[in-house]
Amino acid sequence: MARVDVRGISIPVPDENDFTSRLRSPAVASRVGVWLGICFGIAFLTGVISHQAQAADPLIPFPTRPVWGYRLSQGLHVITGTAAIPLLLVKLWTVFPKLFARPPKRLRMLVVEGLERSSIAVLVSAAIFQLASGLANSAQWYPWGFQFRATHYAMAWVAIGALLVHIAVKLPVIRDSLRGDIEQTVHDRPAATEQGELSRRGLVRSAVLAAGVAVLATAGSTVPLLRKVSVFGVRSGEGPAGIPINVTARAAGVTASALSRDFELTVVHAGATRTFTRTELAALSQTSAELPIACVEGWSASGLWTGVRLRDLLDLVGAPRGRDVHVVSLQERGTYRQSTLPHQFADDDLTLLALGLNGEPLALDHGYPCRLIAPNRPGVLQTKWVTHLEVLA
Amino acid sequence: MTRIRVLLGALGVAAGLYGVLLLLDLGGENLRATGIWLVGGVILHDAVLAPATVLLAYGAAWVAGRVTGRRLPAPVIVGAVVLGAATLVAVPVLGREQARPNPTLLDRDYVLGWWVLAGLTLVVVVGALLRDRVRRRGGADGTRAGRR
Repeated sequence: MARVDVRGISIPVPDENDFTSRLRSPAVASRVGVWLGICFGIAFLTGVISHQAQAADPLIPFPTRPVWGYRLSQGLHVITGTAAIPLLLVKLWTVFPKLFARPPKRLRMLVVEGLERSSIAVLVSAAIFQLASGLANSAQWYPWGFQFRATHYAMAWVAIGALLVHIAVKLPVIRDSLRGDIEQTVHDRPAATEQGELSRRGLVRSAVLAAGVAVLATAGSTVPLLRKVSVFGVRSGEGPAGIPINVTARAAGVTASALSRDFELTVVHAGATRTFTRTELAALSQTSAELPIACVEGWSASGLWTGVRLRDLLDLVGAPRGRDVHVVSLQERGTYRQSTLPHQFADDDLTLLALGLNGEPLALDHGYPCRLIAPNRPGVLQTKWVTHLEVLA
Repeated sequence: MTRIRVLLGALGVAAGLYGVLLLLDLGGENLRATGIWLVGGVILHDAVLAPATVLLAYGAAWVAGRVTGRRLPAPVIVGAVVLGAATLVAVPVLGREQARPNPTLLDRDYVLGWWVLAGLTLVVVVGALLRDRVRRRGGADGTRAGRR
């Protein structure tokens, strides 16, 4: 261990050569890195899909099929993000000594290595940021001052960019390591020679095992088969009519207005306005559809929704097909008190203004008197306590 | 390979810069709040978690040496990796039961869940240690003791 003088006090500073375990090797790092890269890749792609699903102006119109598409995509997003946590920890463990490597003396090498180290600093920082903020968000814990969705999306591009740069820089070492035997030492630090009881292969398997356990312990919120196993699942899957709730009527401040006798749904198109009480809605032709509710936080559940086909309501005010619909909730505050339903969803036969769920009248917390439920959409856009529908020009 | 590397690097720089632009677009206040987490996360890992892991590993190896005269057995290391990582993953739920006025959110006993997982890990680790011990005594199958 080297020592550094700070104002006359000699402070021990670890050196790269103080780390002697032969497990801290590129042969291990590259193998764990492959798993980690797969997880980051899937999390990035599914994250872009989710961002597009919520975008006011998506690149291509978001499709309405498969009905379970968003459920699968967002479930994968949270599952791969969770699996990446143990993998990243083991990966960082294998390369930790590099943090204490002495900078080279020659200027040119110093610049090259400085650039490389900066790119790694960005990668590590962005990766930790993405996994920590995503994990906390999945449990609806927001101990920060930034806007989650927009910031998590921006940092995803930084993280994936830094990852590509890292792969580009390390490609020769990665290729050598993956082609060669895991026990090879060509790219090892000279000090990394100490043999422990755990083999290199054992460490890679431990990382994958730890990732698997982390997934099993959390994924029950979206994979019904795992509900009993997921001891850290954010939701047990219980709730009114067997479906969990994201925002309660009380939290949304709609208890009084939703239960009021004066409740009316207004449907507006150009000059035509029609109003419906809940009884009148229930008297219209009813449709049932098995549709998932899939939240951006990664939990999801499938239910049998019953209600009025949205297209039928739009027909009653003479709205043509191909129009977006503005949906407004009784909720007076909050980002998601209203949503815009793109025309392909408004015209879809499975898009309902639901009055019932799993054979029961819609519970207050599920959006009574009526709520929007459409196929293949993020839960935050399935507006609850709907009171106003307006066909946009 | 040089071509692939240059292409990957250029793609990476472009994607990263796009992310930075998106981030700057969110305003100074948002950037400051993000910066705290970007720096804090690295500090938390490099200055707290990683040194703590090193110390813990040294401590465990020292105890193992004193008690058994051998190196830290592989099953113990594997168990620590699995349980340690799972515990970190559980941080946002542990002790936050019913943190929100919503009976369907955080509706499990997570502390009990942690003990169940810890107990299971312990059972598997002890089982593996006993298996290794039997193998070492028998030695008939020729496998090296303690290797997985």
